[in-house]
Amino acid sequence: MKLVVVSAGLSVPSSTRLLADRLAAAVGRTAEVDVQVVELRELAVDIAHHFTNGFPGQALSAALDAVTGADGLVVVTPVFSASYSGLFKSFFDLVEPEALAGKPVLIGATGGTARHSLVLDHALRPLFSYLKAVVVPTGVYAASEDWGAEGLDARIERAAGELAALMSGLSAVPGAAGRRPSADTFEDVVPFEERLAALRPTG
Amino acid sequence: MQFGIFSVGDVTPDPTTGRTPTERERIKAMVAIALKAEEVGLDVFATGEHHNPPFVPSSPTTMLGYIAAQTEKLVLSTSTTLITTNDPVKIAEDFAMLQHLADGRVDLMMGRGNTGPVYPWFGQDIREGINLAIENYALLRRLWREDVVNWEGKFRTPLQGFTSTPRPLDGVAPFVWHGSIRSPEIAEQAAYYGDGFFHNNIFWPADHTKRMIELYRSRYAHYGHGTAEQAIVGLGGQVFMRKNSQDAVREFRPYFDVAPVYGHGPSLEDFTDQTPLTVGSPEQVIEKTLKFREYAGDYQRQLFLLDHAGLPLKTVLEQLDLLGEEVVPVLRKEFAVNRPADVPEAPTHASLLAAAQNEAAQNEAAKNEAAKNEEVVA
Repeated sequence: MKLVVVSAGLSVPSSTRLLADRLAAAVGRTAEVDVQVVELRELAVDIAHHFTNGFPGQALSAALDAVTGADGLVVVTPVFSASYSGLFKSFFDLVEPEALAGKPVLIGATGGTARHSLVLDHALRPLFSYLKAVVVPTGVYAASEDWGAEGLDARIERAAGELAALMSGLSAVPGAAGRRPSADTFEDVVPFEERLAALRPTG
Repeated sequence: MQFGIFSVGDVTPDPTTGRTPTERERIKAMVAIALKAEEVGLDVFATGEHHNPPFVPSSPTTMLGYIAAQTEKLVLSTSTTLITTNDPVKIAEDFAMLQHLADGRVDLMMGRGNTGPVYPWFGQDIREGINLAIENYALLRRLWREDVVNWEGKFRTPLQGFTSTPRPLDGVAPFVWHGSIRSPEIAEQAAYYGDGFFHNNIFWPADHTKRMIELYRSRYAHYGHGTAEQAIVGLGGQVFMRKNSQDAVREFRPYFDVAPVYGHGPSLEDFTDQTPLTVGSPEQVIEKTLKFREYAGDYQRQLFLLDHAGLPLKTVLEQLDLLGEEVVPVLRKEFAVNRPADVPEAPTHASLLAAAQNEAAQNEAAKNEAAKNEEVVA
C-alpha cells in the first residue's frame, strides 16, 4: 500500500516534518506501506505559480498525483494564526474536487504551545470532511513541550493504528478502488446520447 | 491546412508607455488586424466574445460582417461564441445572416465562456454550464437544418412552428468547432456530431492538450464519422517574433511580465518552456509549431494569438507581416510533408455544399433505382 506524507513545515529541520516522520513510521510498524514524503516547502513557488498560470509545474504535478493516488495520507501542518498554514491550504486547494473522496487521512499539527491543539478539529477536520476524505478519529497535535513529555508516543501509535486499519480494511475489500469516484474523467466518458436524453422533457 | 489568427479583444494598457487605447481604437485595431491577415495571405480571422470590461467584442457578427465587406478570401470565425448564455435562436439567425453577407466565408466555434457572472447577467445558471452547451447546441443544429422547428427543452421557451431566418446559405449550415480547454464532455460533444474540436493550447502544457485531442479523435471514430486520424482538429498558439530572437525576448518581456492572464507569475523562460508560447525568431516559431503535430496528429487549423498584453497595433501588424511572409509559407509546405492523403482539410462552405449536393444526388439515384426495381416486380 502507498502511504503519502504531506508536510508543511518550513524550517529545516522542522518539528512538523519530525511529527510526520514519526506518524509514518508508526503506520509502517502496523501495516506494510511504501512511504513517499511530499515537502510543501520545496513546492512553495510552484504552488503559487499554479494559481497564477492555471497549471502545475512538473514537481507539483508529481506531488498532486502522488497524493491523489495514495492508499492513505498523513498530513501535518504547523499552526499559523489559529489555523493550518496558508501553504498547506494552498496545496489542498489545488487537489481536484473528489480526488480525495473516501481516502483515509491522518491529520497532525504542530505549534509552540498546546493552546492551539483544537486546530485539528476546528480547521483540519472540516477541510478534509469537505474533501470527502475519511479522517481517522485521533488527530495528533505536538506542542514544543510535547517533545520532552510523556503521552505523544501513545497518541502517535493510536492514530497510526487507526489509519493502518482503515487503509488495510479498504484495500482488503475487492474492487474498493473501483467504487471510489473516478478522478480520471478522460477514461470514463459519458456517452453523448445519455447526456442528451437527460435533458429531454418528460411526460 | 488553414492558418489564421484569433483575438481575445482585450483593452490592455501598453506597459511600456502606460497608455490604454480607447474602446473605439481597440475595435478599429481588431478590424485593421483582420484586414492585414487577409493581405498577408492568412486564411482565418476569429474574434472572441465577451460581456465585461476590459473586453470589446460583445457583438461578433457585427464586427465580422464589417470585416466581410472589406475582404474577399478570409474565413470569419469566432473564438468562442457563447453557446451557454446566448439564445441559440439568435445564434442561428445572426450567423446565417453573416453567411449570406460573407458569401459563405463563415464558421464558428462554440464555447462555454470562462467569466462566471456572465451566466446570471444573461439569466442562466453556471452550474448548468455543460447542460446548457448540450441543449442549446442541439437546438441550434435543428434550427439550421429544419425549416420548421417544434421544440421543447429544459432551459428555453418552447418553440412551435418556428422558422429561423434567413435560412443558411445554400441550405448548408456553417461548420462548427467546439472549443474547450479541459472539459472532456465538450470533446465528446464535438465527436458525437462529427464537428471540429479546437484546443486553445495556450495556457496549458502540451500533454494536457494531447489528452483532450486523443479523446476527441477516438470518440470521433467511435461515432463513425471516419478514422481517428480524419477528425477535424484546430489548435491555438501564441507567438512573438523578431528577426533576431534576443530582440524578440527583450521587446516582449515587459509585456509578458504584466500581461493580464499570466503576468506576475512564471518567468518568460518557464512559460515558453512549459506551454506552446514561442518568443523568438520566425525559425523558432516554425520549429515549435511543427512540433504541435507530434501530439495533435495531422490537424486542420492553426490559429495564433498576436494582439494581446497591450501590444500596440503597429507591432501586431509587424507580427502579421512576419507570420504571413516568413512563417506560414514554410508551415504550409512542412505540414504537407507526409500528411496522409485521406486526412481531410477543414470543411468550408464550398466543401460542405459539394458534400450535400453529392449526398442529394446519391439519394436521388437510390430512389430511382428503387422505383425501377418496383416496376420490374410489378
